[in-house]
Amino acid sequence: MSRLKKPADLKKLKKEAVARRGAKKTWLAVCTGTGCRAYGAEPLADSFEGEIARRGIADTVGVRRTGCHGFCERGPLVVIQPEDTCYLGAKPKNVPDIIDRLTTGEGNVEKLLYLDEANGERLSRLEQIPFYKHQKRILLENNVLIDPSDILDYIAVGGYSALAKVLAGMAPEDVLKEVTDANLRGRGGGGFPAGWKWETTRDAPEEPKYVIVNADEGDPGAYMDRSILEGNPHSVLEGLIIGAYTIGASQGFIYVRQEYPLARKHAERALDQAREYGLLGRNILGTDFSFDVKIHRGAGAFVSGESSALMCAIEGHVGEPRPKYIHTSEKGLWGKPSCLNNVETWANVPHIINHGAEWFGRMGTEKSKGTKIFSLVGKVKNTGLVEVPMGITLRDIIFKIGGGVPKGKKFKAVQTGGPSGGVIPESLLDLPVDFDELTKVGSMMGSGGMIVMDENTCMVDTARYYTNFLAHESCGKCVPCREGLRQTLEILNRIAAGRGKEGDLALLEELGEFMEAASLCALGQSAPFPVLSTLKYFRKEYEEHIREKRCAAGVCTELIAYVIDQEKCTACGACFRNCPVDAINKSKDKVFTIIQEKCIKCGACYTACPDKFSAVVKVPATTMQKQSAGAATLHETKA
Amino acid sequence: MHASNQVAQRRSTTFPLDVLIIDGDKGFTRNCVKTIESSAYTVVGANTAQAGLAVAETSHPRVVIVDWNTPGGNGLEILKSLAEREPTAVPVVVTANATVDAAVEAMKHGAFDFLAKPVDSEKLLETVRRGLDLSSLRKEAAGAEAETDASKKYDLLLQGLDVLGEAYSMGIEKKQLLDELTFLENEAKYHAESLGQIKKKERVILDIRNDLAEVDAILRKYDFQKNSLIQVLLDVQESFRWLPRHILNWISGRLNIPIREIYVIANFYEAFSLAPRGRHTIHVCTGTACHVRGASETLTRISSTLGIAAGETDKDQEFTLETVHCIGCCALAPVVQIDKQYYRDPSKKELEKIIKTLKQEKEEPCLA
Ligand SMILES: Cc1cc2nc3c(=O)[nH]c(=O)nc-3n(C[C@H](O)[C@H](O)[C@H](O)COP(=O)(O)O)c2cc1C
Ligand code: SF4
Ligand code: SF4
Ligand code: FES
Repeated sequence: MSRLKKPADLKKLKKEAVARRGAKKTWLAVCTGTGCRAYGAEPLADSFEGEIARRGIADTVGVRRTGCHGFCERGPLVVIQPEDTCYLGAKPKNVPDIIDRLTTGEGNVEKLLYLDEANGERLSRLEQIPFYKHQKRILLENNVLIDPSDILDYIAVGGYSALAKVLAGMAPEDVLKEVTDANLRGRGGGGFPAGWKWETTRDAPEEPKYVIVNADEGDPGAYMDRSILEGNPHSVLEGLIIGAYTIGASQGFIYVRQEYPLARKHAERALDQAREYGLLGRNILGTDFSFDVKIHRGAGAFVSGESSALMCAIEGHVGEPRPKYIHTSEKGLWGKPSCLNNVETWANVPHIINHGAEWFGRMGTEKSKGTKIFSLVGKVKNTGLVEVPMGITLRDIIFKIGGGVPKGKKFKAVQTGGPSGGVIPESLLDLPVDFDELTKVGSMMGSGGMIVMDENTCMVDTARYYTNFLAHESCGKCVPCREGLRQTLEILNRIAAGRGKEGDLALLEELGEFMEAASLCALGQSAPFPVLSTLKYFRKEYEEHIREKRCAAGVCTELIAYVIDQEKCTACGACFRNCPVDAINKSKDKVFTIIQEKCIKCGACYTACPDKFSAVVKVPATTMQKQSAGAATLHETKA
Repeated sequence: MHASNQVAQRRSTTFPLDVLIIDGDKGFTRNCVKTIESSAYTVVGANTAQAGLAVAETSHPRVVIVDWNTPGGNGLEILKSLAEREPTAVPVVVTANATVDAAVEAMKHGAFDFLAKPVDSEKLLETVRRGLDLSSLRKEAAGAEAETDASKKYDLLLQGLDVLGEAYSMGIEKKQLLDELTFLENEAKYHAESLGQIKKKERVILDIRNDLAEVDAILRKYDFQKNSLIQVLLDVQESFRWLPRHILNWISGRLNIPIREIYVIANFYEAFSLAPRGRHTIHVCTGTACHVRGASETLTRISSTLGIAAGETDKDQEFTLETVHCIGCCALAPVVQIDKQYYRDPSKKELEKIIKTLKQEKEEPCLA
């Protein structure tokens, strides 16, 4: 098949693509996203292919290597279509069994199905699994269905039909109206309405204009942009092309961080294939509209995800923000109007065009429409990517979809918005998730990282962690951010080390207000949020650190000590073998003890001690200082 | 038969000898010797072909004056054997009955000049001087050849050593022989060493040339565009595992960007390293999701297993340990990335196994 010469040609191509997919009765969709790859998804897919070839059933059964399905916790994931049977954690050794069941039609491999712990029932179909059941998957839906390196797969599931629709008869104004009416808000952080931004760039007098995809995804703990670009790159590209048509741009960029080599590879391939079919390049679908895209790799700097910094980086300079008296949408790349949107924002566009603003508006809350993808990670049972309608409560996400906190621990807080966001305590779990609600409680939507924390997470440490990250990532151009972060970090370090003073907390708040008001870019302006929000909801924890020199979560190393419970220890020696500094000795009673002077509190022994013994325990460091005899007297102090 | 008599005219034993005269005319020979000696050159006269060639063989004259009609073998024969045995010697022909034919014949066989008797002393000296100059040039050329072919020479020396060794074992226990042997041995070592150095230098130059060719290929990919600097540096970082100075200088010249600016960029971004990295890079994620699930313990474990701290490379340049803020694999936290492979919180045992297999591999694994 060669270039498509007019929008209507797409329909024909789609028919062919659908027929090609239909030629095989059964497809095994093996997730080969980055997460599942770590579990060995590639060899698994290989052995499926080998087994199918060996049995000579390749005419009816095919293997499709797809992008991320979302349920990363339980990978490698395999979904058998069209039945939608979902196998979790399959290994190459399970392959013959799986194929047997498939060819004979005799049930499923039970032990690889999801186990509903409530009633001991095995759930076979994807949509029955609670993790998927409560989601609303629009952007992620196709990740399970298509091979991201094959444009025909995307076309078969309706890809590029939005672009064809636009080019067949929508004026740029019509597209703009649709996106504005849908009230699509930016998914990359601030939630700025995309329609407004498009319009500003469109109306700016200068030429040429640029459109850019922000795939820098610097927020640690978020990986939805990666999974979209890896698993469905054409959806982003289609959105971008529609945006370029609307805005009047002829050149686009995809700024992808170099830590994501697979995303880049898939995006590159998508560009090539789109060009081949006349969906990108000169005279797209035979119309007058020409547009092309280049990929630019980011070299690893959080601040370079900020719009003006990102554009500096594309120009080949150091990616530092500049004062934005005039927005980048008017004066961006090389001083020309440039519209920058996040990966997820662009990926929403084809859906809005296909189904209309009204359809989009039916999902979500009054001011936040559509769905949002969150990366549900941290201390939660079902980690992975979840796509939910805006307005769902945090509780539903964390408990219904996420399955709550593992190992019977107590939920403490959830952090959203990355380094610019804040923590949300249990009391606010019934908060509907949307842009404005999250901001109201001192956090923000951010790019969608959602990090669940349990009783073993220390809030002072969390604030210190983010401050440290930001101090490292601040470009240092403006004083409030650079010095504010440094001072904040110093105070937090002091508190975490048990040297906090009365008045420190007031000082932290004062510094925070100052940074928020006076910093140049959003990095500095939002940098105090992790501190301020933890202070707001967990002030008591800070006070315990300062007054009692106690870290209840057992995280701040200078406030804890590891000791071995002499009665529980079975002298298995696991701790001894794992200690990196030889701080563990056999004591007189043939059990092990920790030499406190040598211990660096890395926690290796704590992890190494088998759960059934749990002989290594954390105690407040203060108890150790009082007892010169150390471990031997542990029981007295406990009692 | 009287060779020794004639050779007795030899005054100086310094060699190589400057001039050798082979001429049956004793008077002429004597005069010439005097003239040449007066200009402080070493000179020997011989009155027969055999005597002359014998001297030539032992004292390697630089210029040989040959009478076209020497007793015991005419001039032409002498020229031929000289060309064979002493190729660097410069022959000059003299004759009492000069004919054009003889001159042409002599020149054809390598004569440098053709003088008719009687030869006036100025003319003689002038010829000798020019002959000596030419001989130096020839020696240099031969020397250069020998040097470029030092390995051949080394072989030759070894052969010589063999011969001498043999002689020695046959009972010729002269001290001189031993001295010669040591001398030759040292000579051989010296040449071997300088050969090694030359080879090393050659390799370095070749390496740099290859590096720059590779960089040029990268630059070409981006059309030598200034604004592609970061992309170029990323590619260089990927192929070389760091940004060597000579390459940055080269890029600076090629893209016409001040080197200072390049260093600013190289320092700003995490991806670049200005010191060589190990063959394998181990990234420990310390992003938020990994942090709350105990990434710091993972880091301590890896660091103690490898014996290096974060940001360091081991001394064999096998491994570089680095922390990274999120590699987009958060669901598997805490995550470790070794080269291109991701691992979920590897235990000490697993780590040791991975490290062992990586050390055994010659080339980096080529995973997707
Ligand atoms: C320090 C900093 C880092 C940012 N990093 C990212 C990022 O990694 N990805 C992203 O999409 N937006 C990031 N943003 C937000 C962008 O500046 C910009 O608002 C966004 O890409 C616009 O797209 P959207 O309107 O579709 O959200 C960052 C902002 C700041 C201040
Ligand atoms: S706020 Fe921070 S990151 Fe932003 S410009 Fe200032 S110093 Fe740089
Ligand atoms: S690992 Fe636990 S049980 Fe084993 S020796 Fe150490 S403290 Fe004792
Ligand atoms: S936080 Fe470690 S991979 Fe994302």
